[in-house]
Amino acid sequence: MRSVIIWTLLIAVLLVSPFMGAVDLNISDIVQSNSLAAQIFYDIRLPRVIFTFFAGLILALSGLLFQTLFRNPLMTPYTLGISSGATLGAGIAIKLGLSSVLFGLAAVSLFGFLGAMLTIFLLLYLAQFLKGSQQTALLLLGIALSLFYTSALMLVFYLGNTIQNDMLIRFTMGSLSVIGWSSPLVISVVASLLLFAVYAYRFELQLLGVSQESAKLKGVESKKVTLILLLIASFAIGLLVSISGPIGFVGLVVPHIVAKLYPQTVQKRIIKTALFGGFFLVLCDTLSRALPTQSELPIGIITALIGGPFFIYLIISRIK
Amino acid sequence: MIELQNLGCNYDAKTILKNISLKIATHLTVLGPNGAGKSTLAKALCNLVAYDGEISIDTKNLQDYAAKELAKKIAYIPTKLEFYDEFLTLEEFVLLGRFAHKESFLDYSDADRSIAAANITLLGLKELSSHLLSELSSGETALALIAQALTQESQIIIFDEPTANLDPKNSKIIARHIKNLKQTHQTVLITHDLHLANFIASPVLFLKEQQAHYFEDDFFNDANLSKLYDVKIQSLAVQYA
Repeated sequence: MRSVIIWTLLIAVLLVSPFMGAVDLNISDIVQSNSLAAQIFYDIRLPRVIFTFFAGLILALSGLLFQTLFRNPLMTPYTLGISSGATLGAGIAIKLGLSSVLFGLAAVSLFGFLGAMLTIFLLLYLAQFLKGSQQTALLLLGIALSLFYTSALMLVFYLGNTIQNDMLIRFTMGSLSVIGWSSPLVISVVASLLLFAVYAYRFELQLLGVSQESAKLKGVESKKVTLILLLIASFAIGLLVSISGPIGFVGLVVPHIVAKLYPQTVQKRIIKTALFGGFFLVLCDTLSRALPTQSELPIGIITALIGGPFFIYLIISRIK
Repeated sequence: MIELQNLGCNYDAKTILKNISLKIATHLTVLGPNGAGKSTLAKALCNLVAYDGEISIDTKNLQDYAAKELAKKIAYIPTKLEFYDEFLTLEEFVLLGRFAHKESFLDYSDADRSIAAANITLLGLKELSSHLLSELSSGETALALIAQALTQESQIIIFDEPTANLDPKNSKIIARHIKNLKQTHQTVLITHDLHLANFIASPVLFLKEQQAHYFEDDFFNDANLSKLYDVKIQSLAVQYA
């Protein structure tokens, strides 16, 4: 019952979301073609809601995936420093003044993507030196990398001028505002690919969620499967962060909320977590546009403000 | 048929096993003091740890087995079950044993489910089917692990100290199951429990100081054991006084 109410609410928010914002729209406005309202609706609001939904899906699903593959509830692309890697990459591009376009991609996005991918390869390389039981050490490595990136980013700030720093601060806060359909299209394709891959490997993932040893003994090519899934998820995250900037807490919190609502095995929570992540980020984005502030609040701030306290509540309620 | 040729294992730059060559045609019990490499040997047989030399099962090199193929040959039952997914039920856990038999990317079939259910019933766990794994006692967990191994339908089952965490009553239940399984499977038992080893009555491989000693029979006498374990043993029990 509780879950029915929550899902209904989330779907209602998804439907209402495109009508909310700096300019409130209603249905009669948007059916008139060529009106300003219709233009805002089809070129700005609708692409944004779709982009946000699939962004949330990627964040939540890769959170669940990382937690399961590393068998640690704190492992997410965000806590492992992959998002920070992307931020540093984007920061360097901004500092170097590469605001133009390289190979048909915005330089900031390209560098952000490279930062994320470099981080995951570095983590995979370092993980080789860890024994199977030292998963916590990998988390520490991720945190160390994050701190290193943050300091490097500080250096970029220090060296940057005011305009560059303003761009950089905006990027680090995360933003879901997209114009036109190209970003939503790319992200929805990548999100679908990720969901398909995770679902296709759901039985392998279930065994890896018991233990690495158990998976291997029951016949899972555990190294191969882990690598495939990590690479697809990192690719999706890298691409997303390069467009939206880092958005924290969704990957950490959503899988836990879904596990609270549905105390079931990982295998049965894949689709639910993916959908919930999408709806959850749309809710956060709608809030950021609907709150009576001078301009919309950056999404990273909203997710952290909701996610932080909620996460503390989750941990405390689990200890009890 | 398991064949070891010049098997050696290192752990943290320390040599655990060295130059062991042996053909295991039927059942085997592996005994030896702590740190002698009993569990390492078991893990090497399942390709869970790196080793030197060669291990072959049914004349095929262990390294040439695909993961699923190996799972159909050999099942390993750990002393202690570690699992991350806290929402796994007993029923779901036992079904995971069918992974190597099911079609890739497809769900477990009805046949898979009935095999799992039959083994749960065989081990007397039917009432607990829908219970969470985390709610089971050590004795029930040990039985669940056997049910899962049986569901895997492998030729060989390795028991790694199956009675280490159990009270006398549960130890007896497990011992009887192992004894019964000797009729259908090739069993490898690793243990410190001399009464269990004596009851199972398989040929013994005694590991000590990197050396392996093989005893076809006539192993379980106090003089022999006292010498091998370096402590006074009477009626298969250690004399503390």
